[in-house]
Amino acid sequence: MFDLNFLLAGDYRDWLLSGLLLSLQLMGITLLLSLPLACGVAMLRMAPSRLLNALGAAYVELIRNVPLLAHFLFWYFGAPELLPDTWKERLYAGNIEAASAITALTLYTAAYMAEDIRSGIRAIPAQQFEAGRALGFSFLATMRLCVVPQALRLAAPPLLSQTLTLWQNTSIATVIGVAELMYQTQRVEAASFRSVEAFVFASAAYLAVSLLIAGLAALLQRKVS
Amino acid sequence: MQTRLHFAALLFTSIAFTQVAQADQLANIKAKGELVCGTLGTDEPNSFIDARSRQLVGYEVDLCRAIAHGLGVKPVIKQLAVAARIPELQQGRIDILTASLTHNKEREALVDFSLSTFYTGQRVLVKKSSNITTVAGLAGKKVLTVKGGTQEPNLRKAVPGVDVVTFETAGQAYLGLQQGKGVGYVDDEVSLLNNYAKLGAAQKDYLVLPQNISQEVFAFGIRKGETGVKTAVDQVLRGLEKSGEAEKLFFKWYGPTSNVKFQKRTFKIESDKIDA
Repeated sequence: MFDLNFLLAGDYRDWLLSGLLLSLQLMGITLLLSLPLACGVAMLRMAPSRLLNALGAAYVELIRNVPLLAHFLFWYFGAPELLPDTWKERLYAGNIEAASAITALTLYTAAYMAEDIRSGIRAIPAQQFEAGRALGFSFLATMRLCVVPQALRLAAPPLLSQTLTLWQNTSIATVIGVAELMYQTQRVEAASFRSVEAFVFASAAYLAVSLLIAGLAALLQRKVS
Repeated sequence: MQTRLHFAALLFTSIAFTQVAQADQLANIKAKGELVCGTLGTDEPNSFIDARSRQLVGYEVDLCRAIAHGLGVKPVIKQLAVAARIPELQQGRIDILTASLTHNKEREALVDFSLSTFYTGQRVLVKKSSNITTVAGLAGKKVLTVKGGTQEPNLRKAVPGVDVVTFETAGQAYLGLQQGKGVGYVDDEVSLLNNYAKLGAAQKDYLVLPQNISQEVFAFGIRKGETGVKTAVDQVLRGLEKSGEAEKLFFKWYGPTSNVKFQKRTFKIESDKIDA
């Protein structure tokens, strides 16, 4: 019998809520870290240097052409093993699961966001940039003070759409033992054998947050245009 | 030829059985001169078909032979499907069940159990550098295991306050332990010892904690109310334990020269009680 009530009390509710909270935290922290990184990568791709352009392009292609699952496994099982022993021990003593997840999500999300920001920059008339340089600003200062703020405004709707994808991508962190919403859902399922109810709850939670972000994107879209 | 004779004997005894249903089953076994044991035949090393001889062999098969010998009758080994085990016993087509049968409270309503013949459970592997030597020492520590099994709930029950991290496969949890991402790795005893065996020279850095975090007890199934059979079977089992024969059989199938490589026997065949 379908019965959601057993989820709404006791341990199961606590597990699911802590999972939802951790998923939201993963999204929030990743967003805070990946936005500046994405701006940096976008600038590399616009910079007046072949080498820097290539560097930016290499980053985007390298990250985007490997599945996110592989990123998670690499940052959890692979990369930390390359560190010196003392660093490794300190890292493993902390929450290595969440740290690896945030690293993987940040690098992955930034690659996509960088492309959105680059489109935003390209949409700003070239004269804006020229005017900045004519006034004596350096490349970086022109970008920072004049071009990027306008570009971010234009890029806001696609960036929100990336945030939506990021929100759903947090669920993959379950494979490296991060106790986010999907992990806790599977835990409730294993303990209660109530697969339908557990996954209905998880789906509803993902849907609710997604709709919230999508609504925000629609609102911004109207403001910008 | 022999199978046909067995079949005839079975047919005969089952006809005889319907007529003397009230008679003591033990007298019946002695009268027909054979003890029919039901095994799985698919559960190495308890009962399985030896690749070379094509015969059913194993720990439980040897115990069945020993019991038949003790009763002064001939052993007959019959292969059963898991789901058919208890019905076959209840319907009298076999005399005792020697089929990797877990003794639990729910089943006590259906069948009687002999003395427990094998104890297994879930174990913990730790790195020696963690200085953890008991299950209780895992409290507050990060322990890795596989998602979705009974390992996680059993561990939480055994060690309140333990920090469990679960993975899609037991292999990933085991890799995590090797990399130092947790102090312990929990799995079913046989799988855990198999992984431990694969460590080779690195074994000196690891320790299998001596205690199980959960216990599973195997015993032989006896038809409900057949106290004569139970007393006789238990008596033979006690004799095997006393003479050291039971221990010898354990090491023959589970010992250092077997695949499972148990170094020690942590139980004795002496009780038919289980924890709730």
